[in-house]
Amino acid sequence: MPLGSNVRYTVRSVVYLLVGLVFITPLLWMISTSLKFEHQVFERPFVFIHWDAVNWNNYSHVLTGTDFPVWLWNSVIVVIVSVVFRLLLSALGGYAFGFLKFRYSDGIFFAFLAAMFIPYQLTLLPQFISFRFIGLLDSHWALILPNIVDVLSIFLMRQFFLSFPKELVHAAYLEGSGVFRSFVRVALPLAATPLLTLGLLSFFMIWDQYFQPLIFLHSKELYTIPIGLQSFQTQFGKQYAMQMALACLAIIPVLGVFLALQKRFVESIVSSGLKG
Amino acid sequence: METAVNEGKRVRRGRAYSLEKLERRAGLLFALPALVGFLLFVFVPMLCVLLLSLYKVDLMTYTFEFKGFGFYDKMLGDPDFWKSVRNTLTYMAIYVPLTLLLGLGMALVLNGKMRARGVVRTFFIIPYITTYVATLVVWNVFLHPTEGPVNSLLMSLGVERPPQYMVDKHWALPMLALIGSWKDVGYHCILFLAALQGVSKDYYEAAEIDGAGRLQRFKHITFPLISPTSFFLLLITIIGGLQAFYQMALLTKGGPAFSTTTMTYHIYRSAFEFYNFSYASAVGMFLFLLTLVLIAVNWFAQKKWVFYQ
Repeated sequence: MPLGSNVRYTVRSVVYLLVGLVFITPLLWMISTSLKFEHQVFERPFVFIHWDAVNWNNYSHVLTGTDFPVWLWNSVIVVIVSVVFRLLLSALGGYAFGFLKFRYSDGIFFAFLAAMFIPYQLTLLPQFISFRFIGLLDSHWALILPNIVDVLSIFLMRQFFLSFPKELVHAAYLEGSGVFRSFVRVALPLAATPLLTLGLLSFFMIWDQYFQPLIFLHSKELYTIPIGLQSFQTQFGKQYAMQMALACLAIIPVLGVFLALQKRFVESIVSSGLKG
Repeated sequence: METAVNEGKRVRRGRAYSLEKLERRAGLLFALPALVGFLLFVFVPMLCVLLLSLYKVDLMTYTFEFKGFGFYDKMLGDPDFWKSVRNTLTYMAIYVPLTLLLGLGMALVLNGKMRARGVVRTFFIIPYITTYVATLVVWNVFLHPTEGPVNSLLMSLGVERPPQYMVDKHWALPMLALIGSWKDVGYHCILFLAALQGVSKDYYEAAEIDGAGRLQRFKHITFPLISPTSFFLLLITIIGGLQAFYQMALLTKGGPAFSTTTMTYHIYRSAFEFYNFSYASAVGMFLFLLTLVLIAVNWFAQKKWVFYQ
């Protein structure tokens, strides 16, 4: 490669890197502010981090002086229970619609697909009324139950099982396994990759949910992270450094999962997006 | 010998027959949780919304009173409703093209020759995966009209009256759309990048031999070949734009002066601040209808520009 084009190539890469950094400026500013004292938040001139006097107190206060640990725990519980049940239901449903088939299964599935266009804010209205009626309001079940049925998840598992080799399952039949046993023994292990994909995408989606806890919960001890963050913001509107520490802590779990599984995550989005 | 073979055939045929029947029966059983869940959490709620919009409901006694299309009449005569429709459409007019173009631009950057591609890609995706409410808490302070870092930078650069963002009724909605794009564009970037990587290099080489310029190559090769992805993303973006809610709820509460009350926020306020579930359901049905119309229009329009290999 000639020298001139090599320089141009490097310069261009540096420019793109800077563009990328500008893109996440709000998040960099969040990290910077979370390590400052309140009186330094809007200081001029701006200092990214005061290396000689880093203020870790915001973090220790959020972790010990607020309900953050409770919200974290609630979020983890809601996400895990929702994802586990969602995967179970989607694997069974996907196998039924994609592989086993039954009378009218294709027609019923088409009705499922049409439901993807229903705004979620719409179905939440009667859900609120019925949860209130049966006394599920203000409980984690109100968040978990609607999350278990996800049309997109069933659709993705169906797509996977549509092309599942019949010979494998029939071989299991010949060895004396029933339908359920061959599903557990043969089909499920081979579906590990799409299930993991689905689990990952669902984790990010459910972790982010804000509307559902906003309308279903009112006890503070049941709050998940998004709604907890909002309640903190309204309560301590002027304590910006503390808010940034809290926002940072809320992001760390998802960022950790993302960075650890980045490649897989990108593949997940591509495979679920393009076929969707 | 012959009978044994025949018997074998018969047994096998008999088994194949009963097997299919068995699978069908099991299929229904396997689908049962999904079917019940769908009925309980999608189908019945959808019917209920329809009924809710026709009945006046008393939440204390759970009694219903038939009102016909009364709530729809009220909705169509309500200037606030029409403002919310206009706000939603304005939001979409910014959010949809911006997210698509930005996502494509970012994917083109990542698809070109460059160093540190992985790092830049991570930067582009990070807003998409981070907790939305947390990023909104950050934006709230970041765009603080008098003290926030954006405006203090603008003022130090000599801008005397920098924009007031969330408290200015002309700025608030476009800013919310901008934040929505910032948040979602990582998804578009990933999908566009995958589509770009799927375009065979042979096409470009052939075009180069024919003397096609960069723009021509994009217009005649890249664009048609990634058009199925573009179409999918267009639908996703339309749905996302129609359902935007988080920014309004966390940053502006629909204000100032109703300027960011989109249809979703109008539904939320009607139902959970004024407890008028029937009116909210009527607005919701209208939103659903609008979604279907926009999807249908694009579905028919795709023949003109989407190219399937």
